[in-house]
Amino acid sequence: MKPVNFDYAAPESVADAIRLLVEARGEAKIIAGGQSLLPLLNMRMARPSLLVDLARIPGLDEVRLSDGWLEIGAMTRHAVVEAHPLVRRHAPLLAAAASFVAHHQVRNRGTIGGSTAHADPAAEEPLALLALDSELIAEGPDGAAKWPIGAFFRGPMTTALADAQVLVKLRVPCRGPSEGWAFREISRRRGDLALAAVAVWLRREDGICRDLRVALGGVADRPVRAKAAEAALRGCAWEPQIVDKTPALLEADIAPGSDVHATADYRRAVARELLVHALNEAWERVGELSPHC
Amino acid sequence: MANPPYKWISQRVRVREDRRFLTGQGRYVGDIRLAGMLEVAVLASPYAHALIKSIDVEDAIKQPGVVLAITGADLARDTDPIPQFLDLPRVRWYSLATDRVRFAGEGVAAVVATSRAAAEDALDFIKVEYEPLPALADPEAAMAPGAPVLHPDHGSNIAWQGAWTWGDVDGDFRRADRVVKTRLRWSRHSGVPLETFGTVAAWNSRLELLDVWASHQAPALSAQISTVLRFPSNRIRIHADLDVGGSYGAKRGQKQIALTTYLAMRTRRPLRYLEDRLENMAAGDGHGPDRVFDAELALSRTGECLSLRLHTVDDVGAYVGRGPLQIAKCITAIVGPYRIGSVRYSGLAVMTNKTNQNPYRGFGQSPHNFVLERLMDMAATELGLDRVEIRRRNLIPPEAFPYLIPSGSRYDSGDYPAVLDKALALAAYPNLLRFQAEARSQGRCIGIGIAACIEPSGANTAFFALMNPKHKTSLVPEGARVGVDSRGKITVAIGFASTGQSHETMVSQVIAEVMDIAPEEVAVIRADSLAGIPSVPPTGSRMSLMLSGAVLGAAQKILAKMKRIAAHNLGVDPETVEYAGGVFRRKDGSGAGLAFAEVALIAHTRKHQMPPDMEGGLSELYVMEVPGGGHLPDVAGRMQSYPAYTFSVHIPVVEVNPRTGEVRFLDYFAAHDCGTPIHPDIVEGMVYGGIAQGIGAALFEKFVYAEDGQFLSSTFMDYLLPSANEIPPIKMVEHVTPGPHHPFGAKGTAEGGYLTAPAAVASAVEDALSPLGVRVTELPMTPALLLALIGNGRRR
Repeated sequence: MKPVNFDYAAPESVADAIRLLVEARGEAKIIAGGQSLLPLLNMRMARPSLLVDLARIPGLDEVRLSDGWLEIGAMTRHAVVEAHPLVRRHAPLLAAAASFVAHHQVRNRGTIGGSTAHADPAAEEPLALLALDSELIAEGPDGAAKWPIGAFFRGPMTTALADAQVLVKLRVPCRGPSEGWAFREISRRRGDLALAAVAVWLRREDGICRDLRVALGGVADRPVRAKAAEAALRGCAWEPQIVDKTPALLEADIAPGSDVHATADYRRAVARELLVHALNEAWERVGELSPHC
Repeated sequence: MANPPYKWISQRVRVREDRRFLTGQGRYVGDIRLAGMLEVAVLASPYAHALIKSIDVEDAIKQPGVVLAITGADLARDTDPIPQFLDLPRVRWYSLATDRVRFAGEGVAAVVATSRAAAEDALDFIKVEYEPLPALADPEAAMAPGAPVLHPDHGSNIAWQGAWTWGDVDGDFRRADRVVKTRLRWSRHSGVPLETFGTVAAWNSRLELLDVWASHQAPALSAQISTVLRFPSNRIRIHADLDVGGSYGAKRGQKQIALTTYLAMRTRRPLRYLEDRLENMAAGDGHGPDRVFDAELALSRTGECLSLRLHTVDDVGAYVGRGPLQIAKCITAIVGPYRIGSVRYSGLAVMTNKTNQNPYRGFGQSPHNFVLERLMDMAATELGLDRVEIRRRNLIPPEAFPYLIPSGSRYDSGDYPAVLDKALALAAYPNLLRFQAEARSQGRCIGIGIAACIEPSGANTAFFALMNPKHKTSLVPEGARVGVDSRGKITVAIGFASTGQSHETMVSQVIAEVMDIAPEEVAVIRADSLAGIPSVPPTGSRMSLMLSGAVLGAAQKILAKMKRIAAHNLGVDPETVEYAGGVFRRKDGSGAGLAFAEVALIAHTRKHQMPPDMEGGLSELYVMEVPGGGHLPDVAGRMQSYPAYTFSVHIPVVEVNPRTGEVRFLDYFAAHDCGTPIHPDIVEGMVYGGIAQGIGAALFEKFVYAEDGQFLSSTFMDYLLPSANEIPPIKMVEHVTPGPHHPFGAKGTAEGGYLTAPAAVASAVEDALSPLGVRVTELPMTPALLLALIGNGRRR
């Protein structure tokens, strides 16, 4: 459990990081918090010739508001996402998702950008980002790039990021009035990756569900939207008989697998179970906090 | 305990080991630094079963920092096979595979280099050509005719089979009103240690000794190394001044120690082989029992247990370490705490493509207790009896002690109904039942578990002979040497390394009690294997009985000698002298006394003041032997086994979410009788830790192998240990029935928590889901398993 020899660089600008990545011709890995990468290195499952550490680049861990968006630097630690007053106020779903990431020690080191770029299909923060319809911004040798979150994840541990692109910022729409949210997860132990997790965002006006997005984790090769369930509820009055039918609509949108922790059947069953609870919780939560954005 | 008759025994004195552990001063194999020390890495087989067609280490030897690279062929040429605990001359076991790999992760080559990283780099340059063979990951499949055979020279995968019948089993089953019958699965898990297995070995050319530091808990280690290396055991020095970072039976490391000592002898350089986590999990030979049970209990209409029939198939892995002997240990307490008149017990040890099985806390008693308690719950259900009541009707009554069980052991003492009552009172059981009924009416699945358990303690391993007639062990000694120096200061030497059970504290308490001084004044050292202190490390909950007995014996020898010196100087008969408060004086109180330190000074420097026939100095060794031991089993397999019997009752309370299968603890109650507790904090620590491990076994822990023998649980993301989040606060009450075989009335206590908890938690979960028709027959009870059982129950 010792990594192969590698070079290490800690550039002080994104431009320098990109230059190092280009020069390494695909043999480099970016290290953010290192919480997923270091075990892969130690087990020699990743064998990069160079690690480019983003820790010394100023500004990559900023959290700020900009024109109705919450902008979160990619190097922002999970613990900061969980506790930051701006995140808690304007993207409480994201703060809640961050609180489910592993344990304190990991949350103090791991970053939201690192987790998103790592693209573990059971990771929590990407679900919140998906439910909130966030944008991701990267910089690369050909300039800046931007993706809606729905176009970012391509498969397990696979994203739209090209080889020398550096994810620098996540943009999350600020919570508006009449919006509700919920995050629910089942894991073997507290802090483990999700066997199934659900993030819900919705807008409720006059007893009607005007809009909603439901993101599921742990039940497919990437974070997925429950499109059929969303369609069944969008524009409807919130009737139990409609909500209670949504679990049956998940089938087309998920494709869970089996592993040592749970069978595909189990993941499917608890995703359905979580969904109704999360939907109702999000519905009830509308108006709970008054956002100022 | 109210008003104990002792000044230091049973008192919560400062646990002297805590300081070094809490201040980061534990000294583990990883902390040892020897000048010029090299490191070892091992190349693991990617196949579960394959022939090695060729292997070439030449390119590895050329890599930077590499000193030596070897294969199994070197070991087959230069060493003898590692001793196994069953009589299997045609199963040859070496630290590295020779011509065939038998589990995924088995070592095929080893590299010695200037750093572990350099050694791992060099592994990439070893070329191995394998011819994959079909693999076996299921013991029953491995027994089937036509199954691939791991050791063709042995001829089958069955390492051992046997059967014993004690009493009129068939008659009792014929007479029974009811027979309950079940098949149970106990999954492979273990006492996964925080510190993996490690060994430092160094040829000491100055003293012409092989120095060894190993993170082990292995009896007779010198003899094993001596056999493998064909090297005299008195030139192997095993250091005991070392902390072992977790073991609970698993830290045997036979092949790891054999490899490291071989490499040290071959290179004549100090070196270390410290497993990484992947090696420890996949190939550390540290997995516990892996059993299929077929169990039947014969009962009368009123719930009286008449007879037990039990058959087990144990998956022991690729080679036979100490693990399979766990099949026979439960004979020591085959009926648990119940009056069961006759027993038939049979079993098989089957070899499969998995890493070797080794002992885990209780040496097989925990799976056995799981079986007994599952049968009791089943019997209660089928007879329509309360689960507490059926146990109460069968408990051995206090007036029946000493109580002879069918397999020949005599339980020493106990008051099982009293302990049961204390557990029920602690849990406020009637209130719990009311709470459960109310919650059920609201649709909640609340379960109350109940399990009773016998913990045999004192480790009489004569039962080994039941499985291997060549293994004639009728003596399991523990020695301690007590010395008093010329200033009257006391030092105790013990002969084994710390695996964390606070033995130094216990030793100081015993000396303090006998010598009437404060425990802090006693020095305790750990002597190496050449110091002449017979020792078997902490196994079988033995040390509170055996080590304290040894220390007490040696201290009493010292005191007797000092009394003679004092009497000689006081001019009186030694019989008239007593010792108290640091002074020897006449029992009638008359005349002057002689202080302890004065007597010590005489013994060391003033021959003219000593009785003429007396040896100088104050140093006494006492070797404690297992009370009631000294015998091998009789022809019927009966024997007096462990000497002291601890008793526990656990009552966990859980809530199961019937829609997700998640289990949440609402409470956990435990009543425990280990005789006189020598140190109540240590007893509680043992019980709490054991319960945590038992909860792990019940809900989380399993070494998973795929059908093709690939190992799927090699990291802590896949093998789930319970954390503080998963373990509930434990409420515990003690009961004291003094053990008759110990001067202070102590019994062992290290295993009971783990022996009882899996059965208790299974009982609780089954109770929670009983309205849904769920029967628990398999551990761990993962959420996915429970949800599937709930689904099956509903369909029924």
